[in-house]
Amino acid sequence: MKKEELKAQLYDEIAKCNRCGFCLAVCPVYAAVGKEWATPRGKNALIRAIIEGKIDWTPEIEESLYRCTGCRLCTQTCFPAVETNQGVLAGRECLVEKRLYPQVIDRVVEAIENNFNISNEPNINRTMWMETMEGVPENRFQKEKAEVIYFTGCVASFYPMAHKIPQNLVRIFHRAHVDFTLLGGEEWCCGFPLIQAGMKEKMKTLKEHNEKMVQKVGAKTIVFACPSCYHTWREMYQTDAEPLHSTQFIERLIAEGKIIFQDGRERIVTYHDPCDLGRNSKVFDPPRNILKKIPGVKLVELENNRQLSMCCGGGGDLEMIDPDLSSAIAKRKIEEIQKTGAEEVVTACQQCIRTISGYARKNKIKLKVRDITEVVLEAMSA
Amino acid sequence: MNRDQMIEELSKIVGKENVLFSETDLLLYGYDASLFKAKPDCIVLPNSTEEVSQIVKFAHREKIPIVARGSGTNLSGGTIPARGGIVIHFSRMNRVLEIDIKNQRAVVEPGVFTLTLKNQLARYGYVYQPDPASERVSTFGGNFGENSGGPHCLKYGVTTNHVLGAEIVLPDGEIIWVGGKALDHPGYDLTGLLVGSEGTLGIATKLVLRIVPKPEAVKTMLAIYNSLEDAGRTVSAIIAEGIVPATLEMLDRLTIKAVEESIHAGFPLDAEAVLLIEIDGLKDGMERLAERIIEICKENRAREVKAARTEEERAQLWAGRKGAFGAVARLRPNYLVCDGTVPRTKLPEVLTRVMEVGKKYNLPIANVFHAGDGNLHPLILFDERNEEELKKVHLAGSEILKICAEAGGTISGEHGIGTEKKKEMFFVFTPKDISAMRKVKRAFDPEDLFNPGKVLPEVQT
Ligand SMILES: Cc1cc2nc3c(=O)[nH]c(=O)nc-3n(C[C@H](O)[C@H](O)[C@H](O)COP(=O)(O)OP(=O)(O)OC[C@H]3O[C@@H](n4cnc5c(N)ncnc54)[C@H](O)[C@@H]3O)c2cc1C
Repeated sequence: MKKEELKAQLYDEIAKCNRCGFCLAVCPVYAAVGKEWATPRGKNALIRAIIEGKIDWTPEIEESLYRCTGCRLCTQTCFPAVETNQGVLAGRECLVEKRLYPQVIDRVVEAIENNFNISNEPNINRTMWMETMEGVPENRFQKEKAEVIYFTGCVASFYPMAHKIPQNLVRIFHRAHVDFTLLGGEEWCCGFPLIQAGMKEKMKTLKEHNEKMVQKVGAKTIVFACPSCYHTWREMYQTDAEPLHSTQFIERLIAEGKIIFQDGRERIVTYHDPCDLGRNSKVFDPPRNILKKIPGVKLVELENNRQLSMCCGGGGDLEMIDPDLSSAIAKRKIEEIQKTGAEEVVTACQQCIRTISGYARKNKIKLKVRDITEVVLEAMSA
Repeated sequence: MNRDQMIEELSKIVGKENVLFSETDLLLYGYDASLFKAKPDCIVLPNSTEEVSQIVKFAHREKIPIVARGSGTNLSGGTIPARGGIVIHFSRMNRVLEIDIKNQRAVVEPGVFTLTLKNQLARYGYVYQPDPASERVSTFGGNFGENSGGPHCLKYGVTTNHVLGAEIVLPDGEIIWVGGKALDHPGYDLTGLLVGSEGTLGIATKLVLRIVPKPEAVKTMLAIYNSLEDAGRTVSAIIAEGIVPATLEMLDRLTIKAVEESIHAGFPLDAEAVLLIEIDGLKDGMERLAERIIEICKENRAREVKAARTEEERAQLWAGRKGAFGAVARLRPNYLVCDGTVPRTKLPEVLTRVMEVGKKYNLPIANVFHAGDGNLHPLILFDERNEEELKKVHLAGSEILKICAEAGGTISGEHGIGTEKKKEMFFVFTPKDISAMRKVKRAFDPEDLFNPGKVLPEVQT
């Protein structure tokens, strides 16, 4: 993106920032870093200075703009609601044009361009998560026509730590007699990592391909377990199929009597709102309603919940760009979880699970971190 | 000394990663919440009193200016490095050191957010009373520097009434203690002198604060008016009756509109003004007092008086009040907050004159303020990008302060003088008064290194 375009798109938005600094109190990056470049106020000031020609792109601006989790808690708590993350993402687009961006990004972009996914695996292996699963049907959950498409997402497809999510979700679908299919090797990355990288224009082919595939299946509904795929779809895609997050879909299945819970263990559970699901897509109640229906589960809220939920540290490609920073943010999240006294934290995002449990494991903190699909399946089988 | 040497010396004290000096960082530490800008030479982030002392000793030796900075939310240019030099950012010194419930004291480092301490105190049923609208992000160092106030200061006093002592680094780098945990100290009241000195006399590295048990009961009421004057008269009438509510805040029509667009606080859009009245204390007698206040509101033609029924409703009303400044940016991108204080009885008259200033310069003015204290905050709305408007805004702001001074009031209730209001100091002080203050500054800081160019205007001799 060119400076002129940045100005046309964002000058009025960013001009609303009066530098009151209220965002300093909530920004997870500032809490970890403690320097003005980390603050949303600072990011707005930098974009503004660029637009006004007071400064040119610098490596420090790159460092600043690529350290934002996109959690948007700043905007949520900003009285004029300045959309700082929009400025950050547009700023990244400008930086990309100047070839000023973290080099790790090239690896992901290359992977997406070559394999249509973020890993080094060929896309035909998108169903590799079935390898460790029993009772996989011959069609590997793929058919030509279906009511529902389950869009697996790159992380759940290719990273073993997250394989449980698709495994559990297809089992839930199977038991609830959902007429569904996967796109398998025809599912391409949704484009979220490219938007975060500042290379939005590169997602065009991905989007067109995915839209075409969905059209072909003729599905009414498309289900995502990944909040970022879901959010990207809602914001950027146009299809006839209704996009739903897995929690919304499961809530419907419960209401239709297709999911019935047996008795469960008595336990205290807390729920972490993933930023892209909660604040950014406004899905707050379905996961809570599901948990409340599970026998034995007592749900206690985190101190900061729903619109005010604190990021886990894994948002906006941050874990890839700056793992130490991501982990410092996760630390605060874990402290907040521990304060509830819950023995188990449930969430609905593979990235949140990865950041939270990754930190807990490295630091030998005993904490059960689970995706809601796992909890649902367990309660169905109990 | 050249900059590279300076950076090297400072890095020896705080570590390389805690010294910032890139073009980008200089820009980022060149603003605060005011309309002023200037660049420092570098920024340091110390982690202890000892480090602060060493930084200051170094700067003193080399005659480099020092500006202390908390969250940079002050509205008067208090953290603008007017003469360059070193900015000390206190974000790493953010520990609550002690909560001593038995003696009703807390000890904090200067970088602690005001609300962070309050949240910790809530667990004990205790409070720190001063409540600037910016409390969720303002630091104790900043509160100390500006002698900050807030709605509840009507009853409980401003920051200076709650800071009992402090560890101070003087402009030559020496570390001293002023005041302490005891209520009264012999000798000169240096704590009183330092609070509100805007970083020009000493830098606080630890603060001893007074904390008190939470009042047994609170009642929050919203009185709604069809005229600003009636709301103003109510304020005087309540106080004249000998009632001291915990808060008496006023919001006018334009502010209400902005707040309601931002969050739904429950202020009626068709009202000319609302008063946010809170009483607190013992449960006994509270209902009677509330009834009397409602009567007074009605006698002064309040259209309706509502009481918050739940803690959520109360929180919502206050969220509206605390976000009012930010919210007006929905109407025009920028605002200048004027901070004049007038005798309460002059409120209606001064408000009318303030609105005339707005008309004269063709600038919208929104009013939200600590009515009980007579502390006005006219918010002049404009677009900073429009230079013509920016000029008019400064003139209008100055004129409003003149009106306050002429009405027997003063030019700052709580936001400080900084760089913004130096020349307006002459509205309320004679050159002799200023010279007396200058003597104090010289006694502490003969080389004029701590936040130079702030607070005191030059006096022609
Ligand atoms: C939206 C908004 C609402 C506000 N509402 C109120 C309000 O209701 N009441 C009110 O009083 N103010 C209010 N303010 C002004 C401001 O928030 C307060 O003055 C606050 O106390 C400043 O805190 P800070 O940490 O941002 O200090 P900074 O702005 O960083 O510094 C303020 C001053 O203190 C000095 N200082 C900082 N640290 C130290 C230290 N350790 N030792 C000595 N001096 C130091 C600085 O040099 C500077 O002169 C508001 C501001 C905004 C933007």
